Amino acid sequence: MTASATEAAVSAIHIEDLWKRYGKVEAVRGISLDVRPGEIFGLIGPDGAGKTSTFQVLAGVMEATSGTASIFGKPARDARSETGYLTQVFSLYPDLTVLENIRYMGDLRRVPPDEITRRGQRYLRMFDMDRFEDRLAGRLSGGMKQKLALACALVPEPRVLLLDEPTTGVDPVSRREFWDTLAHLAAGGLTILLATPYLDEAERCHRVALIHQGLIQNTGTPAELRASLNSKRMELHTSNLSGAEEIINTLAGPDQEIVDVQRFGDRLDLIVRHPDAAEVILRDTLIPAGLTIDDIRIDEPTLENTFVATLRNLGQEVHSEPFPGRHGHAELKGQVAIGATNLRKEFGAFTAVKDVSLDIKYGEIYGLLGANGAGKTTTIKMLCGLLEPTFGKMQLAGKSGGLRSGSVRQRIGYMSQKFSLYNDMSIKENLEFFAGVYGVPEEEREEKMRWVLSFSGLEGKQDQLTGSLPQGWKQRVAFGAAIQHEPSILFLDEPTSGVDPLARRAFWTMINRLADAGTAILVTTHYLEEAEQCNRLGFMVAGELVTEGSPTAIKSAQGGHLLEFVVDQPQRAMEMLKTDEERWRVSLFGDRLHVITDDEAAAAIRATTSRIELAGMKVITAREGRFSLEDVFISVVEKARQQGKFVSED
Amino acid sequence: MKLIQFLFGYRIRALLKKEFAQIRRDRRLAMSLILPPVLQLLLFSFVLNATVSNLKLGIIDESRTPESRNLTSTLTESKSFRMAGYYYSVDKMGDAISKGELDAGVVIPHDYTGELERGRPVTVQFLLNAMNANTAAIAQGYAEGVILTYNRTLGAQGIHARFSQIAAPALSRKGLALMTSTYLYNPGLVGTWFVVTGIFGLLIILNGSIVAATSMVKEREQGTIEQLLMCPAGTYEIIVAKIAPLFFLLFMMVLFATAIIKFVFDVPFEGNILILFAGAALCILSGIGIGTVLATFTHSAFQAQLTSFFVNPLLTTASGAVTPAEAVPGWLQPLVRINPIRHFSVIARSSMIKGSGLETLWPNFLVLSIFTVVMVSLSVWRFRKQLS
Repeated sequence: MTASATEAAVSAIHIEDLWKRYGKVEAVRGISLDVRPGEIFGLIGPDGAGKTSTFQVLAGVMEATSGTASIFGKPARDARSETGYLTQVFSLYPDLTVLENIRYMGDLRRVPPDEITRRGQRYLRMFDMDRFEDRLAGRLSGGMKQKLALACALVPEPRVLLLDEPTTGVDPVSRREFWDTLAHLAAGGLTILLATPYLDEAERCHRVALIHQGLIQNTGTPAELRASLNSKRMELHTSNLSGAEEIINTLAGPDQEIVDVQRFGDRLDLIVRHPDAAEVILRDTLIPAGLTIDDIRIDEPTLENTFVATLRNLGQEVHSEPFPGRHGHAELKGQVAIGATNLRKEFGAFTAVKDVSLDIKYGEIYGLLGANGAGKTTTIKMLCGLLEPTFGKMQLAGKSGGLRSGSVRQRIGYMSQKFSLYNDMSIKENLEFFAGVYGVPEEEREEKMRWVLSFSGLEGKQDQLTGSLPQGWKQRVAFGAAIQHEPSILFLDEPTSGVDPLARRAFWTMINRLADAGTAILVTTHYLEEAEQCNRLGFMVAGELVTEGSPTAIKSAQGGHLLEFVVDQPQRAMEMLKTDEERWRVSLFGDRLHVITDDEAAAAIRATTSRIELAGMKVITAREGRFSLEDVFISVVEKARQQGKFVSED
Repeated sequence: MKLIQFLFGYRIRALLKKEFAQIRRDRRLAMSLILPPVLQLLLFSFVLNATVSNLKLGIIDESRTPESRNLTSTLTESKSFRMAGYYYSVDKMGDAISKGELDAGVVIPHDYTGELERGRPVTVQFLLNAMNANTAAIAQGYAEGVILTYNRTLGAQGIHARFSQIAAPALSRKGLALMTSTYLYNPGLVGTWFVVTGIFGLLIILNGSIVAATSMVKEREQGTIEQLLMCPAGTYEIIVAKIAPLFFLLFMMVLFATAIIKFVFDVPFEGNILILFAGAALCILSGIGIGTVLATFTHSAFQAQLTSFFVNPLLTTASGAVTPAEAVPGWLQPLVRINPIRHFSVIARSSMIKGSGLETLWPNFLVLSIFTVVMVSLSVWRFRKQLS
């Protein structure tokens, strides 16, 4: 037996030198991969990297051009009864109930009727969905739809699960639940291969492969990948972020002590080789320039840092021309751009938004976060004048009345969730339309369009139909279209959904630049790592604004501690801890167990360790970790729920 | 000044450019606005034609004189009737009619020639199978026409043959029908002239409303409506820009249809063609208006089309386009009075066939204009409310 044949024998999924061509386009260019039974394996990569093609070959719905793809030793096509495949689009029947959907999928796979009922009920109970058996699938929330699709895929009891970006557009709370479910299933022996654009999700995989232009660039556990960067992440708090960023940018480079700098809402993140040396450099350059260094913290780099560094080495960085901004709004800085007092919206008997008050100033980036159904979209529609509030006062662009007038809208840039371009027009026609309708001066149109094309990486493709672009590119063009007229107020509703990390960085660089020029920006996202780049955040739960503040303030206001354990039987440990803690407090990240406690950290570590060890398991390491914004968000939502604020489940 | 600013403003230009770009890509829409209406016009006009020919006629000739034979041959010589046999009793002929062997029967009384010679009117019995009331009425009309001609041949002696028409189930009842008509404007009684001018308006409203509803609802269906509502353009500008390319395409259809009406159906063009085009333009706008209003009440093209299936047949039947407007029951007459199809068909018929001008047609123009303004204003008002 050759080495690879031995490997294939123990692999759940075995891919060797897989190629897939569509005409002249090479989507997959010889990838090899092995996924072990019971493993959650993540495929991450930019748009158009070949992820979906790989899934389609593995699911047996498409032939490979060449190479092998086998599942438990059988060719993928013959192993279809062993695989469950979840595509990017919901594959449910919205007019059937939850149970009917499950029954239909079971019948298709010839599962005996009583088995379908038994398994269906088991999975629904496992996913905490048994209350919704008779609800129409079309009336479920995004997260629940995905869980139902998962249940449908599981009823035939596959041994391998293929999930292609299952959580795009799903809110953080549902996403956390979805991942808890996946962790549970994997611990039960199911093999899961999954693609995701969210790198915080990749952290929850056992192993990750970075795929780019049809090739695998890097494979390993999240910890291995992070370590492969051979660098540390330095969080720098300073009084003047844009000033410091500018100076550090001149120092940073792939061969320098400071490799990279990225701006967040209230800090800069630096990738440095040696923290001590870097700190010296910073003190020598920033302080003479009159800038302060308020705080420096050293941490491990994130997967996103690794991803960005790898793609950079491959020459994939977005080099866009500088934005040809002609009309700054610096003189407005500090004034209130978007103001709301006790904003309320009722739809019949249902109150979608309750007494929301906020002030967003020119030059500020404000992030509005919330689970699906929390009233975020309704709030934005009221704030930008699309929807009349039931009660409450509003102020927009210095006016408190006539918010629907053309002159107010002229000063606003708006990028709606997902569909802000006309698919049946070319990129150029779209840009010309928005430039025309917002009255961008003739003489500026040419350079604005050139800038949007360079920002989107679509130079020379302006005559392509917009509908034929992948989601990520469309978002970039839409963003460009929305800022052509240099608005002083910008609304961005999930601007980066489906956008890969490199492009996301370019987005945020631009957003920061606009804010520096005085634009007020309101942004929503489901991606909490990204939300850290806002100056201020507001969390919405059940129509109310429950928490507001800078990312750091929100994180430090969060009482309690995050404990991280590495245990020999993580699944069993999680099950056990979940029985006597509230469910949301315990979750599994790959092989690490996160426990959120309100007690004193050291005592809680001792108590939890002894509980795990009493149950006959072994704790390998235990330490206090740092809250991610997502942890904070989830505990805020859960605590609000306990106070009786129920998140709508419709 | 404001109007000029509006018409040549940068926003409306941008909006128009966008709408035309979208229509240009939508080849199927352009095709479906031109090809099917032309086919429908041809098809409907041939099928809905009320001309009836080759009716089977039975004859009872009790008179058996040269004069009576003259009458029967005059009847059967026309294209309308075909001689289907002689009968000897009214009962037998009645049976044949009820079995469907005959469409009509004529009974010439034994004193036919004598009475004529005495200079008295004579009654000829005409039996009709009124199962298909329409065909029966038409057959009667033909027979009356024939007898009228026949009377003329009898000369100016003041003698007249007279028909008495009896419907099949009531053989015994006798009635008199005397008719003297002069056919003005359409002396050849070409039925297609009526039908084709009616269908014309119907096609404009039908296609106009469906296409407008579909294209208005598209923004909503694809989710671009929010982006459009957020741009500084006013609702009027958005709607005018949406209507313009549709108007353009529908007007192309009107030109094609006019050519067909002229060259295929040989309808005379007595009046000013500009009157016809002006009426057609207003009718197009009314149709688009109906469509845009429907669109603001629906969420998808599918729903919009289903809704227009409810509205359009109602407008069609209560229009006088293919059936006489007078046949519509009283409680539906108000609908007839505001119905754009009705007013356009009046304009088309009068101007083409009669050569009428604005001096007589202005009320129809007025109603069409009011209808258009109300519909477009209603859709502008509803448009911004769509999101709530």
